[in-house]
Amino acid sequence: MSDPVTLALTILALLLGAAVVTALMSGSAACKKFAHMPIVVACGAGALLSIILVTRVAAADQPQFGYGPLTWFAAGKFAANFSITVDPLAAIMLAMITFIATFIAVFSSGYMRDEHHQPDAGYVRYFAVMSLFVFCMCGLVLANNFLLLVGFWEGVGLCSYLLVGYYYEKPSAAAAARKAFLVTRLGDTGFLLGIMLLWKLGGWHTDLTALFDHLVRNPPPTEQITAACLLLFCGAVGKSAQFPLYVWLPDAMEGPTPVSALIHAATMVTAGVYLVARCAPIFALSPDAQAVVAWAGGITALLAAFIALAQTDLKRVLAYSTVSQLGFMFLALGTLGAVSPVFAVVAAMFHLFTHAFFKALLFLASGSVMHAMGNVIDMRRFGGLRTVLPTTHLTFLCGAAALAGLPLLSGFWSKDMVLESLQFGANGSHPHAGSFYLLMLVAMLTAALTAFYTFRAYFLTFWGPTVVPDEAGHHAHESPAVMTVPLMVLAVGALFVGIVAEPFTHWFSGFVGRTPSIVLAAKLAGAAAVEHHFNWGVAGVSTLLAVGGVALAYMAYGAGGPERVPVPLAGVFALSRNKLYVDEAYHGAFVKPAEWLAVMARVFDLFLDSLSRVIAAVPRLVGAAVRPIQNGLVQFYALSMALGLVVFLSFVVFRAGR
Amino acid sequence: MITLWHYLAVAAALFGIGLVGFLTRRNLITMFLCAELMLQGVAINFVAFARFHGNLHGQVFVLFLLAVAACEAGVALALILMLYRRGRSLDVSRWQDLRELGVPAAADLESLPVVHAEPDPTLTPAGARPAPVAEEPARV
Repeated sequence: MSDPVTLALTILALLLGAAVVTALMSGSAACKKFAHMPIVVACGAGALLSIILVTRVAAADQPQFGYGPLTWFAAGKFAANFSITVDPLAAIMLAMITFIATFIAVFSSGYMRDEHHQPDAGYVRYFAVMSLFVFCMCGLVLANNFLLLVGFWEGVGLCSYLLVGYYYEKPSAAAAARKAFLVTRLGDTGFLLGIMLLWKLGGWHTDLTALFDHLVRNPPPTEQITAACLLLFCGAVGKSAQFPLYVWLPDAMEGPTPVSALIHAATMVTAGVYLVARCAPIFALSPDAQAVVAWAGGITALLAAFIALAQTDLKRVLAYSTVSQLGFMFLALGTLGAVSPVFAVVAAMFHLFTHAFFKALLFLASGSVMHAMGNVIDMRRFGGLRTVLPTTHLTFLCGAAALAGLPLLSGFWSKDMVLESLQFGANGSHPHAGSFYLLMLVAMLTAALTAFYTFRAYFLTFWGPTVVPDEAGHHAHESPAVMTVPLMVLAVGALFVGIVAEPFTHWFSGFVGRTPSIVLAAKLAGAAAVEHHFNWGVAGVSTLLAVGGVALAYMAYGAGGPERVPVPLAGVFALSRNKLYVDEAYHGAFVKPAEWLAVMARVFDLFLDSLSRVIAAVPRLVGAAVRPIQNGLVQFYALSMALGLVVFLSFVVFRAGR
Repeated sequence: MITLWHYLAVAAALFGIGLVGFLTRRNLITMFLCAELMLQGVAINFVAFARFHGNLHGQVFVLFLLAVAACEAGVALALILMLYRRGRSLDVSRWQDLRELGVPAAADLESLPVVHAEPDPTLTPAGARPAPVAEEPARV
């Protein structure tokens, strides 16, 4: 059991087993109320095993363990291998995913019940798909082969579709699920094309490690590698909800709230960030692709933060904040050529790691609010819940403070690392150093906006006079322990995981920085190594921005009650409230033309149909005209034969006589 | 001198008489006889050409033809008998059942004179009278 590969395979087997066992439970009504047990056990055991795995990998001299390649299928030069790799990057992701998923599963077992504490109708389905979701994500993290990676990548997409569309009777949920699937599919097309291009450039390898080795030894022309990087990045843009494909993520909250927590924190949206981090050696070869990644991240971060300012739906604020924070991660990844990837990629992964804790916490806390408010999540309809939901209030505050980046909390450290990598990028000799300077300013503005909108949501929900909607009935009360205990655990994580992992011990950067692919990328990028030290300048500015944002939010919303918009800002406010009309623009630019195309195709199809009907009618008409000849009179038949014979014979005779 | 042409003329006359008879007469037995006439016309053709070419091919053919004609006569007469038993008539236009659906049956412009057929001759019963048996149903 000590072998890291065995541990990793055990975790995968546990999760897949949990999915199968849960699915089998759907046969029996008696098993239904225990449907959450398999995933809780599997994820809990998986979390323990992956912590052991992290220690094993940390202790090893050469921190990469491969398994395989067992050939999955092969044709000619093409071989898809079932090969997995266990390195620090995969190990830390595995630990994060299983740990967060455990608590989300525990929370779900309390959340997915009706008002009489009876399991919801789709209880078994929910946990079966959730197990599969976590399994696919773990497989994606461990895969060392692009084909295997795509398999798990699509598996994650499928599970997100099933979970977002969990309330499939609701048309909006079904539409949101479809949107999530189709929009990410758009990115996946680019992803697949990128894999094919890399397959060609990389000496017909599909295994990641072999491919990287080949690319390092025979570097292809820069423009080709840039094309491959941008195509891979398409996939990441779709999955990680970056501009312009971010529109699916806010709608994905139509699913149950714990699903949002899972999608936003542990699984799904982190896949794109992970993909770019995993492919760092390729991105290190192309400065232009790095700039595109950084710009996409910067635009997304600012855009989503702006939209989040005026949303009235608590979960929607959090969803846009996820989009914005993912933009931060891509900002850091974009600097991986300008700063040593050992710093830049680690900054992105560290932000991903801390973000997972506080975003899971925030979503679960908002789920708890929604549970108590009778499924109302519009912040205009409740307020002052401090006294009604004390535990939820405190844990939400922890998450919000961490997200806002208040000093010494998790978000503070990771956001500083991202800003720092941008600062180094701006000061370096990278061809796009000017962009990085601009993007650093964008990131700082976004940081201030983040603090503002997070605390706006906090104040509107928990401060001011107590308002409870009618749907909550007279029983608006704190959630049961099965829901509050995960909140408390995650709150501790959101507060302290950052300070424990990085600023004083540099454990996280030391651990993830040893990942062979990242070390390779550092060698290729040739950027100067960066000392991990505390950067007073960046920390000071970001503290100022965070505190400023919170203070502004307190001034505007600390009193609670209905939202008051200063008249000069009404236009900006409406723009933000309406999500910059991006959905409407997409609807006009893409959905409407597609509908027209469908109508045209339908008309053309009808035309073809009627054409074939007309052609088919000709023999029928001829038949109807000729049919009365068949009159049943023997002599008529004999006469026809004789006449036919006469015609035939005269033809033969006169031809022969000529 | 009798040449090949004379034989062929006789054969053609026989065939023509048979064809016209087959097309114009409605009595099943007459039609059958006309068909036999046509067959025999063809047979004479064969024999004449056998003689003309000086080989036996045509004669062999005629032997086969006679055998087939005998079989045909057996089958055809049996069929005609059965039809008569069913319809009490030898008129071929009684049997128009195989026409296309929806096409009206052909009828005579002026009906034929009705001939009262004599009942089938029977032997005088001897000894015990057998129990009356229902008419055998037609087998199709």
